[in-house]
Amino acid sequence: MTAAPAVDLRPAAPRGQHPGNLASQPSRSTRKRWFDGWGLLMLPLALFLLLVFVAPLALVLARSFTDPVTGLDNYRDFVSSSLYVDVLANTFRISGVVTLLTLVLGFPYAYLMTLATPFWRGVMLIVVLVPFWTSLLVRTFAWVLMLGDTGVVNQTLLGLGVVEEPIAMIRNSTGVIIGMVQVMLPYAVLPLFATMRSIDRRLLQAGEGLGARPMTAFWRIYAPLTLPGVAASCLLVFISSIGFYVTPALLGGPKDVMIGELIVQQLSGVLRWGFASALAVALLVVTAALLLLVARIVNVGKFMAGDR
Amino acid sequence: MRIGQLVTAVGVTGAMVMLSACSGSNAAEDGKTLTIVAWGGEDQKAHVRATAEAWAEENGITIKQDSPTDYAKLRAQVESGKVSWGAVEVEPNFAHTACDNGWAEKLDSSIDTSLLKDVEVTECAVPVLEYAFTIGYNTDTFAHDHPTTWAEFFDVEKFPGKRGFWKYATGAMFEAALLADGVKPEELYPLDIERAFEKLDTIKDQIVFYETGEQQQQLVSSGEAPLIQAWNGRIFSAAQAGQPVANEWNEHLVSYDQWIIPKGSAQAEVAQEWLAHYVKDLEGQAEYANATAYAPVSEGAMEFVDPEVAKELPTAPENAAKMSTVVDYAYWAEHYDEVSKRLSEWAAQ
Repeated sequence: MTAAPAVDLRPAAPRGQHPGNLASQPSRSTRKRWFDGWGLLMLPLALFLLLVFVAPLALVLARSFTDPVTGLDNYRDFVSSSLYVDVLANTFRISGVVTLLTLVLGFPYAYLMTLATPFWRGVMLIVVLVPFWTSLLVRTFAWVLMLGDTGVVNQTLLGLGVVEEPIAMIRNSTGVIIGMVQVMLPYAVLPLFATMRSIDRRLLQAGEGLGARPMTAFWRIYAPLTLPGVAASCLLVFISSIGFYVTPALLGGPKDVMIGELIVQQLSGVLRWGFASALAVALLVVTAALLLLVARIVNVGKFMAGDR
Repeated sequence: MRIGQLVTAVGVTGAMVMLSACSGSNAAEDGKTLTIVAWGGEDQKAHVRATAEAWAEENGITIKQDSPTDYAKLRAQVESGKVSWGAVEVEPNFAHTACDNGWAEKLDSSIDTSLLKDVEVTECAVPVLEYAFTIGYNTDTFAHDHPTTWAEFFDVEKFPGKRGFWKYATGAMFEAALLADGVKPEELYPLDIERAFEKLDTIKDQIVFYETGEQQQQLVSSGEAPLIQAWNGRIFSAAQAGQPVANEWNEHLVSYDQWIIPKGSAQAEVAQEWLAHYVKDLEGQAEYANATAYAPVSEGAMEFVDPEVAKELPTAPENAAKMSTVVDYAYWAEHYDEVSKRLSEWAAQ
């Protein structure tokens, strides 16, 4: 990325003074800002992150190679059992499906919010935020009552004669995904709405005025402008989903264990901290690798910075 | 002027906060505080009220509470040398592990264990409470005839429907499978895990795993899993709330929790004193049993339990006569890790 001129607060250089020199050293303005003291504003955050994020992470990494004995034993245990690898794969599979579903559900919802009157927009915002105000455990347990074999949905379907046998909707991936999509929906809707609200709808009129059909105008003009929001919401949902623990434990079956649950079990249940650390490191590495891969296909940095 | 007022207000507030913080820490430093740690909720409150509050008042001790018990936190406290917990309620297999690894204090000889069951006492731990793994069943689904043995619990022809088990290896599922397969209770340990899995295979598609006590109650009372390997107290409280459920006591397995004192706790001395009191506090244990339907652990305490509750406890003579065995947590301390992994693999297949 090139330096963003909007953030440059220095007085403008006198015109005509070494223009070629400035262009050949794009990093100069950044360096200059350090001297001005602006860069120091970053220091508290950097220190904070170093203390509460980088340092513990380094300890986790170190522990994965040293506890109980120095070496690669923990990682060997991890790759030698199909159980753990399957759990990791399952974690990414479920997180991916949840990300996709929240996008499909969240996109039109956020779009409707930008079209609604202020009153209805407020109502829609509250509806999407309600899950934030209830405990995760309560919400998840409510799904148990809704989706179980003897739950509200199945009893209704059975009563109406739509099905003969109750449909299995919990203790499998379906239950986990339904529960997680509900929890993650606000994280998808809010960034999408924030992006969409800042898009000038007159661009659509302009497109239509130049002869585009409404759908064409929407997909060719509006949709690409929402991509920063799409990227932000997908990232938020995907990264948060990877760490889910309560929902898969209550709504999933033995085949739907996610890695968060496994790490907790190793950490608090059997107290194999070295192995738990190795699981955490493996999760981090695979997640980072996946994001890098995605970033090569889609320019995530560009979307996130809003630098179009 | 206004800014001056604001600064004064902030200053006064800050001073007050600091003063109150100081007075708080003074009370904690005089060595007369006991932090009791258990699984939390109403259970823990009732427990502390029944067995600690009167004693603490008499001896001038401040009781603090923390919850829930977290083994990783306990180990981290011990390893960092900063132990803020006094007495901690744990599962017995962890008590064994903690004792072996030096994470728990050895108990004083001043603690009189003569009223306790030998199997529930180790050099680091005394029992907190007792409960049973019973056959919990839905009384609507099985109005006339219900399973009365683990063999019948595994008989899906005679008693169709889903069966619930606790999802953890120490949930007595393996013990139940082996009893169902004809192993004598006294020959149960060491468990023949292979044989248990073979028996579990026969009902695998009918098994539902639960994580929490609430889930357990919901599964059996809704009829979703009309049979469940239950915690007797959970079934009792669901029945009291009007749900169509009951405990079958025949062939039940007895389990218990234990108190341990984390190694290096500054409160170790006062915790030892409290445990010495706890094991002799028959009325306190009985009061806790009345509130929660967990059984008291000291001989003689049953006399003080409300007769309506007493008949629902594993320590009632008519129930105790139907026991198959007490879960052997020394075995589980050694094999928990390996069997847990096997169980996860088996369940995921």
